[in-house]
Amino acid sequence: MNRRKLVGLCTVAVTVLLGLLISSQTMLISAQNTQNSGVDREEPPPRPYNPYPPGILPADLNSEIARVRREVRFIFNQALGEMRALPPLTVTGQPPTLQGTGYQAVQTLGKLLNFDENMSPFQNRACAFCHMPYAGFSGPIPSVNLTMIAYPGSFQFRAGKRTAQRYTYSPRYPVLELYPDQNLLFGGNFWDGRSTGYLLQSADAEQAQHPPVDTQEHALPDTACIAFRLESAVYKSFFEKIWGDILDIRFPGNTEDICETPGGAKVFGTDVTPIKLSPEDRAKANSVYDHWGQSISFFEDSPQVSPFTSKVDANINGLYTYTPDELAGAILFAGKGNCNSCHIDGQRTLLKPGQTDTGTYATNARPLFTCFGYSNLGLPLNPRDAFFYQTTPDFFGFTANPLGFGYRDLGLGTFLRSGFGSAPNPNETWTELAPRMDGRQQVSTVRNVAMTPPQCPTTEAPGPYFQKEFFHNGYIKSLKQLVHFYNTRDKFPFPVTSGHCPPGKTEKVDCWPMPEVPNNIDMTVGNLGLTDQEENQLVIIMQALNDGFNPSNPSVSTYPDINTFTGKCMTGGTAATQGNNTLIPTPPLPPCASAVCGVAPLPTKPIP
Amino acid sequence: MKKLLLTVLIMVVFMGNLLAQVSPATPKAARVQITQGPELELAKEYLTIIRWTTNNPGGLPDHFGIVRYGTDPNNLSQTAKSPIRLNPSHPSTIFRVRIQGLKAATTYYYTVESQEANGTSDGVTSPVNKFTIP
Ligand code: HEC
Ligand code: HEC
Repeated sequence: MNRRKLVGLCTVAVTVLLGLLISSQTMLISAQNTQNSGVDREEPPPRPYNPYPPGILPADLNSEIARVRREVRFIFNQALGEMRALPPLTVTGQPPTLQGTGYQAVQTLGKLLNFDENMSPFQNRACAFCHMPYAGFSGPIPSVNLTMIAYPGSFQFRAGKRTAQRYTYSPRYPVLELYPDQNLLFGGNFWDGRSTGYLLQSADAEQAQHPPVDTQEHALPDTACIAFRLESAVYKSFFEKIWGDILDIRFPGNTEDICETPGGAKVFGTDVTPIKLSPEDRAKANSVYDHWGQSISFFEDSPQVSPFTSKVDANINGLYTYTPDELAGAILFAGKGNCNSCHIDGQRTLLKPGQTDTGTYATNARPLFTCFGYSNLGLPLNPRDAFFYQTTPDFFGFTANPLGFGYRDLGLGTFLRSGFGSAPNPNETWTELAPRMDGRQQVSTVRNVAMTPPQCPTTEAPGPYFQKEFFHNGYIKSLKQLVHFYNTRDKFPFPVTSGHCPPGKTEKVDCWPMPEVPNNIDMTVGNLGLTDQEENQLVIIMQALNDGFNPSNPSVSTYPDINTFTGKCMTGGTAATQGNNTLIPTPPLPPCASAVCGVAPLPTKPIP
Repeated sequence: MKKLLLTVLIMVVFMGNLLAQVSPATPKAARVQITQGPELELAKEYLTIIRWTTNNPGGLPDHFGIVRYGTDPNNLSQTAKSPIRLNPSHPSTIFRVRIQGLKAATTYYYTVESQEANGTSDGVTSPVNKFTIP
């Protein structure tokens, strides 16, 4: 054995030894990292936030969170594969364009961003956590839909206040605008319209800028945390190539500590830019944040999310003939049910007296089943909403809802006043409209409301069914109930709160508790005179609005990623009373807090 | 001629809205008439609903049904107002108005009318009617 070889061997041994040392070290560090997430690394791990009385959080919450996170990572890896399969990106022309690959590249980037868990302080929440494809990009956890209705954010168990909205076709909502002669606002995203889109000229691209810094969702404390996390993303150069952003921002040494601390934490005070950047670097981070929103919006608008492939579309295009029940449903939707007053279905022929509706689509090849407007349907307050219970400070000193049960959801009205729990209204000339908008929520599209994973093919008991939640506060648990509400809200009204229907009456069947917001209740609906069978036919036409219908193979959905659900279906019961066993009595309600109902311009009538 | 131009203009606006899928404004009906009611749909202290039907008044998509009421037929001092959305494809329109907090064993007098969201009247009012809360 010559000397050289010995040295060689020794080097190998040392390297192995060193390697062992380093890797155990990194394991230690990473274990510390996951435990110590506060700004001060010596602190003990943050205690989970649990201000909830027993029974508000569903029993299987932790395992369901773990399940959805596995599904999210699975789709994220798939998107990485899509990225790697793309041909090389070449920018040519003036203005420079990604010739050939642009559409696919931006969609794939949007998908990666949408499914990336790193975009949250504890690296555990992607957008998709609350919006999964198999639920039509709404909430994926049946037990959450049945109980707390709002989804837990990155710092567990902070939660929001409304249901995770389906976002298929949400990029089609215009920038929020006033039709002055109509005195009405149209467009915008979110139930309360607070994502106007005024800067990016897209309500939906702006929408994607809200959750990352929403204290109860991703909860990053600074929008620049997105650029910071992108700097270490596997798809960093893909992002740079598409947008021309260079991710070389000079982040201060404490940036990771800051981005690991959830927004709203006391340490930040009122500072919304705790990462101290030079003006040039802040401008770069802002540009990255705009491109984040625009990429995600392009994904949401793409055929991966919003493909116009429902039975109704096939019928419009002459590729599918409705069953008798579907046809009856389509006619009721436009006729006796009057649904298309707000959920515009493209049938715009003015019928003359005596003329009958034939269920054909006259004028619009791609109806969106919304008018982009806002209405108050008069839903009762849902006492299970997790928001009502977050009245005490969490580990970081943040209190989501100091008003407790004094909170009322005035929807668009509160947004126009830049009020509590909404966002600043960027158009002060609209503020005076607030009293007429109190209680109004976005007219959502009906498309994909019935979408479920294939193994649980319906939303309706007895199933096997996938439990969803409907309307902004999740009070309604099946589509049968939803139609019955429109049909009989004013037929069975009782001056009680939820959980207190008189003996002999069944809530949601022959007893509707009083509305949370009595002002501006829309009277187009509420007593439609539909029979039980007609209600069912309306459910059937809504089911025909699920995307993924293939006329030549009707039994298999073509909807992308619809097969990613790994949880369980539910069975039993009836759709009319679905979820009624989880009703709880509403506590005696304090009057609406002045932080909500006492803000000028005051509601037209005091809200109790 | 002027009228024709106006109609054409309204039609153009209407078509434009169609494509955007915002609730369309529709040509206003030449004359609005109550074809059924007004009548009591529900009479409870907690909630009273008055309902009537007209030919489709057209105009802006948001309309208000308005009930003026009181216990003295010569002084209908109170007003209740509820929004509805017109359905442009329906030949007739049902207006329904909620009134809350009426007194039991009391007779109320009322008239109804309707207007567009911007306050323009549809130009129809009912004679004074009455109802009693049991
Ligand atoms: C913790 C759960 C949660 C997370 C995480 C989350 N959302 Fe949402 N999403 C919601 C809720 C709740 C709403 C309705 C909120 C409201 O109106 O106040 C909503 C609404 C939306 C809407 C509005 C749809 C419409 O038609 O107006 C879109 C689009 C959307 N989310 C996309 C996203 C994107 C993109 C992300 C990531 C950047 C994201 N969401 C992260 C819960 C979540
Ligand atoms: C006056 C306008 C209006 C009419 C008429 C109307 N809707 Fe809606 N619809 C809304 C509004 C506003 C929302 C959201 C309300 C909320 O969450 O508070 C909504 C939401 C929905 C949703 C989505 C629920 C969810 O959770 O995503 C469905 C489905 C729906 N409506 C079906 C119907 C059907 C069926 C009819 C006819 C029987 C109908 N609508 C009539 C305004 C209307």
